[in-house]
Amino acid sequence: MHISDGVLPTPVTLAGFAASFAIAAWSVRKTDPDQLPKVAVVTSAFFVASLIHVPMGPTSVHLLLPGLVGILLGNAAFISITLGIVLQSFLFQFGGITAIGANAFMMGAPALTAGWVFRLLKGATLGRHMVAAAFAGGGCVVLAVSILAALLYAGGEDFLGVAKIAILAHLPVIGIESAVAAFTVSFLYKVKPDLLGLDAIPPSP
Amino acid sequence: MNSNGPVELPLYALFLLLGGLGGLWLLSALTVGRQARRSAAAGDESERDWSVPTLDSEGRGTSPFHRWDLRIKIVSLFLFILCLSGLSQLQTASLALIVGFGSIAVARLPLRRSLRRISAMAAFLGMFLVVMPLTAPVKAGDTVIVFEHLHWLTFNVRGFHLAVVISVKACAIALLVEPLIATAPFSSSVQAMARLGLPETICQMLLLAHRYIYVFQHEAQRMHRGMRVRGFRKRFDLETLRILGNFLGMLLVRSFERTQRVHDAMLCRGYDGRLMWTTAFRATGMDWVKGVSLVAGGIGLLVLDRFWF
Repeated sequence: MHISDGVLPTPVTLAGFAASFAIAAWSVRKTDPDQLPKVAVVTSAFFVASLIHVPMGPTSVHLLLPGLVGILLGNAAFISITLGIVLQSFLFQFGGITAIGANAFMMGAPALTAGWVFRLLKGATLGRHMVAAAFAGGGCVVLAVSILAALLYAGGEDFLGVAKIAILAHLPVIGIESAVAAFTVSFLYKVKPDLLGLDAIPPSP
Repeated sequence: MNSNGPVELPLYALFLLLGGLGGLWLLSALTVGRQARRSAAAGDESERDWSVPTLDSEGRGTSPFHRWDLRIKIVSLFLFILCLSGLSQLQTASLALIVGFGSIAVARLPLRRSLRRISAMAAFLGMFLVVMPLTAPVKAGDTVIVFEHLHWLTFNVRGFHLAVVISVKACAIALLVEPLIATAPFSSSVQAMARLGLPETICQMLLLAHRYIYVFQHEAQRMHRGMRVRGFRKRFDLETLRILGNFLGMLLVRSFERTQRVHDAMLCRGYDGRLMWTTAFRATGMDWVKGVSLVAGGIGLLVLDRFWF
């Protein structure tokens, strides 16, 4: 779920921009300049992937995939997610123009965390990889939803009810995201394991 | 209006309200459904997953927005939008909504694209409109509506008012996004952002990511069509998620391989970390007049919002 325009109080809007700008700058500095164009191209693939709708009972939800971005891109995940948020806002109005900073922080910071957690837990076997991916993918949504609820609650106690509903609405998403992350990682483990290494994108020859 | 004690309405009022909401929902579902049917040329319902609008199909034109110097247009419209997001009164927010519709008319943009933006926010704003009246804590002076026999269901008018203000602001800003982005080629807009101080690497990444969305959209569409031909249908079960995981994995493998080829091709064409920018910017007095008056209007609205109403 993306925060639209007009919801966040102005100080929170500005703080969101400041935080995202700082972390994005860090994320770019931590990434090899030669790899940045490639990160941009991979961002488009994740963007397209996030358009997939998964049926959920009578309705459907679209994939978020911040966990997978973190797993595959490591420190570059934040800049990738920021670009994705900007493009979603420009193209679809999913997330407001003034909320770009807050939305990028909400998805990007958990993605970075998911990447670290995955690297810590992944071990050497397929099973360990899948467990680590499920944990990173699901945990990432938990973190993102907590940030979402906190940002909404920053508007005052009138927003407490909305924050609670937002958390409830995301509970099934946690399961879906962790399952999809585990299955995707299992596929990559068998088909192209070097993508799951520390250097997600192999250096240019 | 009497603000002491709850206002009690008969039960049928609640049914009327629910019926009205249901009717609205049905109406919008029917309109959206008809539009979707009209736009889906293949007639395949699952293809809606992959529809990505073109950002700058109206990029060429002669309206005041099209002829505005991009740098000044971006800065002043963004500042104006930032002012709008700080409004807190229904009157000023409605004024902003009128400004939004006015800009669409002045920029001669199709209203349909802006309405599509508003419908993208519908679920999020709908949550506010439904949840806030029921959960906003009751303070002294609030008007509370309850329905007979259902005294646990308290409808706080102040919460509803707050949600309406938020929704009106969000719609007003969404209306201004089309004049902001769609009235120039996207590459020119990004170049203007670069000239305004956004780091060049970020601008390049934005352009590349935007460009390749359409490439991977095509790729994903092809893969998905193949899956459907082989009998895959999305269901609400773990098997669907497993297949989607494999699909994603395949999409990622292909995209990582493609990034390598794209990068090699860029190097072959002499890419050295910089892009060739082709748009020349020239700000005239008129550009400044438009920009300054827009920002002044935004600040004026804020002042009106704080001290008038």
